[in-house]
Amino acid sequence: MENMANKVARIPNLVDWSTGEVRLMSAKCNSCGTYFFPKEHYQHRPGCSREGVEDVLLPTRGKLASYTIQYYPCPAPFKTEKKITPYGIGLVEFADEKIQITGIITETDLKTLKIGMEMETTLLEMYTNEEKQQVVTWAFKAV
Amino acid sequence: MRDVYIIGTGIHPWMGFSEQVFADFAAVAVDGALKDADIEWQKIQAIMAGIFIYGGNAGHLSGQYLESIFGETGIPVVNVYNACATGSASIRMAYNSIAAGETDTALAFGADVSPKGFLTAKSDNAVQDRDVIRWKMGGLPNPIYWALECRKRMEKYDTTEEDLALVKVLMSEYGSKNAHARFKKTYSLEEVLNSVYVCDPLRLYEICPVSTGAAAVIVTADKELIAKADNPVKINATTMGSAMYGDPTIRISALSCPSVAEAPMLSESYSASRQAYEKAGIGPEDIDLLELPDNSSWHYLVYLETCGFCGEGEADKMLRDGLTKIGGKLPVNPSGGFSSHGEALSAQALWQVIECSNQLRGRCGERQVEGAKVAMAQTYGLMGNSGTTILSV
Ligand SMILES: [Zn+2]
Repeated sequence: MENMANKVARIPNLVDWSTGEVRLMSAKCNSCGTYFFPKEHYQHRPGCSREGVEDVLLPTRGKLASYTIQYYPCPAPFKTEKKITPYGIGLVEFADEKIQITGIITETDLKTLKIGMEMETTLLEMYTNEEKQQVVTWAFKAV
Repeated sequence: MRDVYIIGTGIHPWMGFSEQVFADFAAVAVDGALKDADIEWQKIQAIMAGIFIYGGNAGHLSGQYLESIFGETGIPVVNVYNACATGSASIRMAYNSIAAGETDTALAFGADVSPKGFLTAKSDNAVQDRDVIRWKMGGLPNPIYWALECRKRMEKYDTTEEDLALVKVLMSEYGSKNAHARFKKTYSLEEVLNSVYVCDPLRLYEICPVSTGAAAVIVTADKELIAKADNPVKINATTMGSAMYGDPTIRISALSCPSVAEAPMLSESYSASRQAYEKAGIGPEDIDLLELPDNSSWHYLVYLETCGFCGEGEADKMLRDGLTKIGGKLPVNPSGGFSSHGEALSAQALWQVIECSNQLRGRCGERQVEGAKVAMAQTYGLMGNSGTTILSV
């Protein structure tokens, strides 16, 4: 992806692209085995000691577990420079981590969406900020 | 524990965004409840008030504001918030206070003023409040959550677009006969199927908007008040549930969910309903009518399964076979449901209880469920909130 350095996440600590690959920032509890997203949103198994929570990056690819097509613009504080509606929202499953994560679907023909298809984590450029940086969120695209 | 009865109820009809202030319309519901119970304000020994979050001080301390309108008497006033299940919390607290003997007569109250336009984030702290992330980064208004679950359902079972539309057809028919409802137009299957998608597979008429409304319920164990009441309604159980670990449902405001189910879907409502069945000694087979939270057509179907009225994936058949119609085996939402009212968050659980109560008291006219003796009101609120109330005459 070009110009990775000139991008900034609208909210930090959710998506990482420092290695050149776009990956969601999760955390894993080594006591109960649960993965969290966002990583601060703990959802431990009852009775878990809550010890040994470590930051992890999720794999770049997962499978589409569900999706919808949103036909109306999302109200503020959501913000994009370009009109993106109608846009897809996917629920992408990372099977080994036993977690499904929502994200806007980009660079994909929405008519081809099908449960079970392989999806890849990517970035969606939302707008340019005052520092001329591209403000981004995480997104998914069909592989 | 003592037996607790509903002796009076009042509603301000549901409406859209209103310039009316809280005092104008909330008092209408309380006046109605006092009149119905035929008691004076001074008989109320506690107020359990559902708060509303878009009302500033008046919203957050709605019980105090209400008390000052009718006259301050020094009684306990508790203000409570459990998202869309707020009204369940208020009636549960009133019930518990009376059943335990702390008070004899209490008012459960809820009023909600919707904001103009869309519901959206209420803080700007993304670390503290995950809701900020779903709005700023996720592009995720509430109906998207329902659509994601609805799509899963359609893939797993044989739920069709016609099933989703049929829910609206029924709800609009009943809502048109309900003076409290905000939407009174009836729709044909074709009209619903021709309405635009909001978030595919859910269409405009298959999701409910936000509304403004107020509801008040007077509950008592006072034998004199019960004796003089017009058809008092017994509260067999009123419970609340929260979510359970491993619930696969994508919860509103969340950005993730487990991919391996270790708990039932909508586990907060599974929990609330099972607690109620246990406490009341009444099961789904004994219930004559059900008010469930049809935030969307998907909810209508899944709630029949979550609450144990049929097995998983069997609700569509119940609907198609007419079992959920007035006159069927289990009339569902004879009020017209949220579909005909819209959500007035802190008031809606009480409004559901009032509909059940009115049905049991034989007051529902054209949409009366004949011979109803046992009714159940089931709510659902964001982030794992739910309440179940079982009533009987
Ligand atoms: Zn843990």
